[in-house]
Amino acid sequence: MNNLKFIAGILVFGSLWGFSECIIGSSLSEKGLPTGAIMTGFFAITFLVISRMTYHRPGMQFGMGILAGSLRLFNPFVGCHLCSALAIMAEGAIFELVWYKISFDLKELKPITMQISMGIISAYFVYIGGYIVTQILTPIVSGSGFFVTNLIAFMPNILSSGLIPALIGAVVLPIVLSTRKLDLRLKDKLYYPTTLGISAFCWIFVVGYWFILA
Amino acid sequence: MKTGKEKIIPIIAMVVLLIGIFSTIYVDANQIEKDTIKINGRDFTLNQIFSDGVERTIETDEGEKTGVALEYIIINAGVDCTNCHDYTIKAKDGYQQTVNWNILKTGILTDYERVFFPDTAHSFWVRDVIEIEVK
Repeated sequence: MNNLKFIAGILVFGSLWGFSECIIGSSLSEKGLPTGAIMTGFFAITFLVISRMTYHRPGMQFGMGILAGSLRLFNPFVGCHLCSALAIMAEGAIFELVWYKISFDLKELKPITMQISMGIISAYFVYIGGYIVTQILTPIVSGSGFFVTNLIAFMPNILSSGLIPALIGAVVLPIVLSTRKLDLRLKDKLYYPTTLGISAFCWIFVVGYWFILA
Repeated sequence: MKTGKEKIIPIIAMVVLLIGIFSTIYVDANQIEKDTIKINGRDFTLNQIFSDGVERTIETDEGEKTGVALEYIIINAGVDCTNCHDYTIKAKDGYQQTVNWNILKTGILTDYERVFFPDTAHSFWVRDVIEIEVK
């Protein structure tokens, strides 16, 4: 796969992830549902694993996190853009670390117990890792300073909050991996128009709203 | 035959679930239920805070918020050199954030025990406040 195709892949998957965080995440939040847990356990894990299955390249999920986090910064629908954007950026990087020793052909993940286990581990560490990173970086970036005692006092809650995403991940990962049998590859002449079109839609929708509401 | 990864990954997953379950039990057991807010070591009811304080409306990126100015809450609690301290705002679930006076004086405490600041990230908008510690 050439580099241009790879970058287009990062663009489309990162944009879809950011778009779902902004639009679906906001509606879940309005309904009082555990937005972060659902967004990570379901959406983030789905996009991250599909991209890994499809592109077989290191660095892709990190790039997706940067892109999705950037899109989240423009989200006009709910507040705390900075906290969530930092968390999403960290989530992509943490996913890469968790999956570092898993081969790109995913041959280790054939047994269902391995799929469920990786779902639990991935969703849990991606979620609490993002949470911890945002607790550290948000006060620093916003200029108020980071106090380690604040993080330590809240650690039990952070560790506890990863349980729901872990359980969601346990169900989602085997389902996502079962789609390996489907051939979803696009023909070359359709690849760039489709990926760029989807990415453009995501950015225009979110950023356009931001300009309208600003 | 199972490989090393096939043995270790399910064990890690189980450990992760146990950490999640035990920390959930710990958090539930350690929720602090109280109807006063401790400020500078003294307990105040919300009624006291509102009757002694100065109400203020601030503009945030989630719209206008009204409550008692934190500036006057701290002064009324008997803190002398307000500018000399940092202030840790603690919630009943263990969440806490520390701010300096320049940030604190811009904030408010609402009648549903949440603090808001006009110019900070939302992570500083602590809910269910039970204490403001003067450091």
